[in-house]
Amino acid sequence: MNFTTYYSLESLIKAGKKSARDKHAVSVDLFDTLLVRRIHDPDLVKLPVARLIAGLAAAKGRSWNWQKIQSQRDTIEQSHRVTTGMKFEDHEACYPVFMRELLAAIFQDDYDESLLAQVTEYELAMENSMLVPRKMLVDWLRELAAEGKRIFIISDMYLPSSHLQKLVDHAGVLDLVEAVISSADTFLAKASGKAYPMISEKYSIRPEEWLHVGDNPFSDGMRAGEAGIEAIIIHDPGEQQRKSIVKRYYNYSDGRPFWRGRALQQLMAPLEGENLPNSPLYTEGYNFLGPLIGIFVQQIAELCRKNEITKVFFLSREGWTFKRYWEKTAPFLFPEKNLPETEYLYVSRMALAGASCAYQGLTKANADIAFLPSGNRDFRDVCRIFSLIPERFAEHLAAHGLSVDTCLSHIHEGYDPGDRKRFDTLLLDESFQAEVKRQTADANQAMQRYFEQVGMFSHRNVAIVDIGWLGTIQRFLFESIAHRADCPYCFGYLFGATRGIPYPDSDRNMISGVMYDRNRFDLAASTLFYAQDIFEEACRAPHPTLNGYRLTADGYELEFRKTDDDIGQAELHQDDYFGPLQKGIIDSAPRFGAAAALLGYSFDDWKPWINYLLVSKLAFPRAKEVANIRHRHHLDDFHGSKKPKADFGKGMEMLWSQSQMQLRFNPLLRLKFFFSHLRRRINE
Amino acid sequence: MSTVHNNRYDLGGLELSRLIKTAIFSKIIPMGNFRGGPGGRCLVVLALLHYLGYPGYRIFAQYGHRLRFLKRIAGKLKK
Repeated sequence: MNFTTYYSLESLIKAGKKSARDKHAVSVDLFDTLLVRRIHDPDLVKLPVARLIAGLAAAKGRSWNWQKIQSQRDTIEQSHRVTTGMKFEDHEACYPVFMRELLAAIFQDDYDESLLAQVTEYELAMENSMLVPRKMLVDWLRELAAEGKRIFIISDMYLPSSHLQKLVDHAGVLDLVEAVISSADTFLAKASGKAYPMISEKYSIRPEEWLHVGDNPFSDGMRAGEAGIEAIIIHDPGEQQRKSIVKRYYNYSDGRPFWRGRALQQLMAPLEGENLPNSPLYTEGYNFLGPLIGIFVQQIAELCRKNEITKVFFLSREGWTFKRYWEKTAPFLFPEKNLPETEYLYVSRMALAGASCAYQGLTKANADIAFLPSGNRDFRDVCRIFSLIPERFAEHLAAHGLSVDTCLSHIHEGYDPGDRKRFDTLLLDESFQAEVKRQTADANQAMQRYFEQVGMFSHRNVAIVDIGWLGTIQRFLFESIAHRADCPYCFGYLFGATRGIPYPDSDRNMISGVMYDRNRFDLAASTLFYAQDIFEEACRAPHPTLNGYRLTADGYELEFRKTDDDIGQAELHQDDYFGPLQKGIIDSAPRFGAAAALLGYSFDDWKPWINYLLVSKLAFPRAKEVANIRHRHHLDDFHGSKKPKADFGKGMEMLWSQSQMQLRFNPLLRLKFFFSHLRRRINE
Repeated sequence: MSTVHNNRYDLGGLELSRLIKTAIFSKIIPMGNFRGGPGGRCLVVLALLHYLGYPGYRIFAQYGHRLRFLKRIAGKLKK
């Protein structure tokens, strides 16, 4: 044997550096040497491609399921290998040739070359997403290139050199390489040893001046040795361990649904140079929040297809993260590109609350919403929320025995149920409602102009995507536009619908929670109640909240909250603190898309793992996780500043508000909170 | 500082040990629907691979050819 095997990359490179001193050329095997695959079986990358072809065929009215397409691909590829084997020693196949034949067989008269280009582009994108360059080898190749060595990449593969170059380019080493050589171009492979003399002759490399690096003792080791080339072989137990783990997760996920989400996360995980030490918040973003958001947007896309939704509005400010995640995952998950349009919509409860009164006035249900937060006490708070001027209602209030400071909330000192009844009577007063409508008309008109501009009324079915929880934004939004004849059918999708107040569902205005909905009993997902604000802060856009819509002579203006006060500064501080968390979330997006596309599972398949993630992280968190993930500041403009009665809030303690001392040293703390959570869910 | 993927190829903050604890706990108290859960055998195999996989594969990589008799014995035991 004219080759040596090494059991770690460090020892291989150390030996390689010695050997390369008197060599002019160094060649490296591509797959499993220079690039490693996230997945244990390279053929699995073909499955999403088969799904894409099935989708394209269905769009052309051709009934081919992806399993049949995959089987046909295997048959055609095999027949090409047999034919090649008649003329050459190696049984090779060439991707563009057999893929063209496959597509022509499926699409027949509808086939054209753009179809092959689309499929090839997706297959290479999927390959790229599953390939990771080995950092130490890349660094060594850079050193060799700097020393003036000629570097070649050689592969026995069905993809021709032109395609492999795209993979090498993605790995960031194409500039170091003189040529990328594939057996698909010449049908002379390393396996038979025929590739080595061909390369030697074509590129004028003398075998004794050539060092080859690979992973296969036969084709990279023995065959290279037979050609007189010195070879070094990597046999990395760490890689074997990693692939063995991936294989188990993948195989277990077939029979046990619980493992499907875990397999997804194993495939998403960064490797080699991608896996750098980072803030613990980055890890939480990547491993915990990222996959949850990915599964959420994947399900929204599925629901949009099912309900023939043609435009998705991601509501500010959490929608900013959802939209970015959508954009990064969609090319992998939905390569047919038949997804609805998307738009980030600047809204807020405060901005829409006023606009919602312009046609219907201030309803009792909306006034009740204003008194849900414990900091809201009187009519001044109602005016703050619905953008009304309290002084202009003095006469109306006096006529009903009220004033702007009369306590209207039962959790505040001085509450008289009679006052609340008088307030309800006030809401029936037509002159009061006329004043409400007059004061909110401009904001509504400005809002409609904005909505017209972003195409809200140009679609029959639209999705309204928000984080949660009561659905008040969509409630106000729909009430603001319900009077229009072109008001679309609004399908509201919330990350978590904790509800709490009945939502006025109708054919045109519906809402549902995707990850959790209080209307469905789901104990594990209900643990979202533990830390709702964290999800809000983690997904929040880096811009201030919207205060309202201002009508101008030629249109409208969006009025944002100022950031120069204490609350604004606190938000900026929070943005800085959660920066790594948000980076982790966004970095996970393309890898989520690729891994989910490869596995081909949908929301119901991920659900057991989602349940585990939520229970484990929210109901049974580690003390240091609470310390890290707990937000530093949380702005809620809806919430007033009045203090409720002293006994308010007793028995409403949250696990995530407990001290580090309690979290670290009280062994039954989490159980106590979990049992009280369980009791509340059963009793609701 | 931490990494998303640790040197045992496990997920940072979601290690298998945590999953094992939750799986045991979920047998005692209701924790939600895990659709059959992870399964004891799967957990054992994965724990071996995550925690003892590297030394095992290291030995097999270097001395595997001398340990083929173990495979034969294992094959006979399976029958």
